[in-house]
Amino acid sequence: MRLLRFIAFSVVRAWQGFWRNAMMSLAATSTVVLMLVLLSGLLIVLAGLDSGLQYIESKVGVTARLQDNLAQEDIDTLVTYIEGLPGVLKVDYIPPEEALERLKQVYEEQGQTLDLGGAEITLYASVEIALTDANQASAVATALEERPEVELITTRQDNYDKLLGIIGYIRTVGFIALALVGLTVLFMIVNMIRIAVYSRSGEIEIMRLVGASDSFIRWPFILEGILCGVIGAIITIILVAVAWEPIKPIMVRVFQMPTAVSTEFLAVLSAVILGMGLGVGALGSWISVRANLASAA
Amino acid sequence: MTDTLQRPYVAQPQRVEPVISMVDIGMTYPNGKVALVDVNVEIPEGDFVFLVGPSGAGKSTFIRLLIREQLPTAGRVVVAGRDLSTMRRSQVPALRRRIGIVFQDFRLLPAKTVYENVAFALEVTGATGAEIRKRVPRLLNLVGLHEHDEHLPAQLSGGEQQRTAIARALVHDPAMLIADEPTGNLDPVTSWDLIQLLIQINAMGTTVLMATHNQEIVNAMRRRVLALEHGTLVRDESGAAYEREY
Repeated sequence: MRLLRFIAFSVVRAWQGFWRNAMMSLAATSTVVLMLVLLSGLLIVLAGLDSGLQYIESKVGVTARLQDNLAQEDIDTLVTYIEGLPGVLKVDYIPPEEALERLKQVYEEQGQTLDLGGAEITLYASVEIALTDANQASAVATALEERPEVELITTRQDNYDKLLGIIGYIRTVGFIALALVGLTVLFMIVNMIRIAVYSRSGEIEIMRLVGASDSFIRWPFILEGILCGVIGAIITIILVAVAWEPIKPIMVRVFQMPTAVSTEFLAVLSAVILGMGLGVGALGSWISVRANLASAA
Repeated sequence: MTDTLQRPYVAQPQRVEPVISMVDIGMTYPNGKVALVDVNVEIPEGDFVFLVGPSGAGKSTFIRLLIREQLPTAGRVVVAGRDLSTMRRSQVPALRRRIGIVFQDFRLLPAKTVYENVAFALEVTGATGAEIRKRVPRLLNLVGLHEHDEHLPAQLSGGEQQRTAIARALVHDPAMLIADEPTGNLDPVTSWDLIQLLIQINAMGTTVLMATHNQEIVNAMRRRVLALEHGTLVRDESGAAYEREY
């Protein structure tokens, strides 16, 4: 019961304190929102890129464009040869007709129609090679270079490496920006609590003199910081939830990955936002209380 | 007939446990200022003691040591049986609930009513609502403010504000009440009213230590007087008058 009274006392005092210095509290909460919106944006982009990376990783393979007019026998020999190479999972022969169908499909997905102006075109035949291990791509490509049936070899390794580089760059820049905004948020919360401590110095002195314990003096201030972080987090979660529907098609279009915009991802993102808000609020107020209430009791 | 029966009866003075014991107290601040030198004082339970001395004599330091706002640089302070030098920080709040303190400037919370000011002292120490509803009206009754419980401090006279502060100081039923210049901001008539209240509180068993410059009150009361000068206890006399030996 005593613990419950302590919690109730601290929460009520924190709530009163939050609104007593409303301007300062709202300024601090706004910076929390700014930080968490930035964090959300960064996490959404990184999740999209990571999904893309995973997709490419799973699909990394080798595509070999074949010479025109190969006999079926040559094609079969080549496929058998490739199937015997180490690290090869599956080999698919894509005849020119299927390649054309695929091209039409790509156009359709983009809302367009492939217009050839009535002309007949023949695309290259190719073999698509799926690998058991993405690292085998170079070895398979080297082996195919010696084959006369093969005209051009492409791997997705370049795309994979490029995307990995972009993700690393975005992650670094994003986290540096986040750290800077995070420091600003901490500074705002530390100041908010410092002002709260000074504005209530009379009360604090009386609390000390009448025998209030350290926890009764400190926790309302710590909770005030936590309140600031949590309110900021709730506002951010609402903003993200509202923006979620418009974001989804953009994400699918940009990253081609539905996994990055799943409801599950939104739930995880909300939990991260709430945790960050709570954490930064608690850390800021704890630092401030330690610095400004060191001599309490 | 035994020896015992032949011997006339002589009442033996009862040993009353001191509520405050200061032994060889010295206090020098980090800036080198010497505030107290070799002070030895015992205040028994139920005593009414005046602490007098000019400004800068060490009265405030004396009080700060009693409530463990500071620790002496030499000697030992024992309050209600607890040695304050060895007391852990976490035990200080419990000590302060055993000592009520009032100041010249009342130190009330201006946005809280009389009732709320007194209740606040209970609330911040985890008292239940039932305890607060039971104790606060009783204390306001004691200090004669039961009809002013909804008033804000600004709506009260100086004497009424000091009574509110006294009610707050008594809220934990302390063994001792320290009053630091409680009449300093009051007119003579109000000051006497307040002294009557302190006498009443003392009569109920609470030890009272009052720091004051008020010569008239000290002379009229004829209680024990501790006189400090330049940090030294120059007089410790019962039934004494206010003397300007400094």
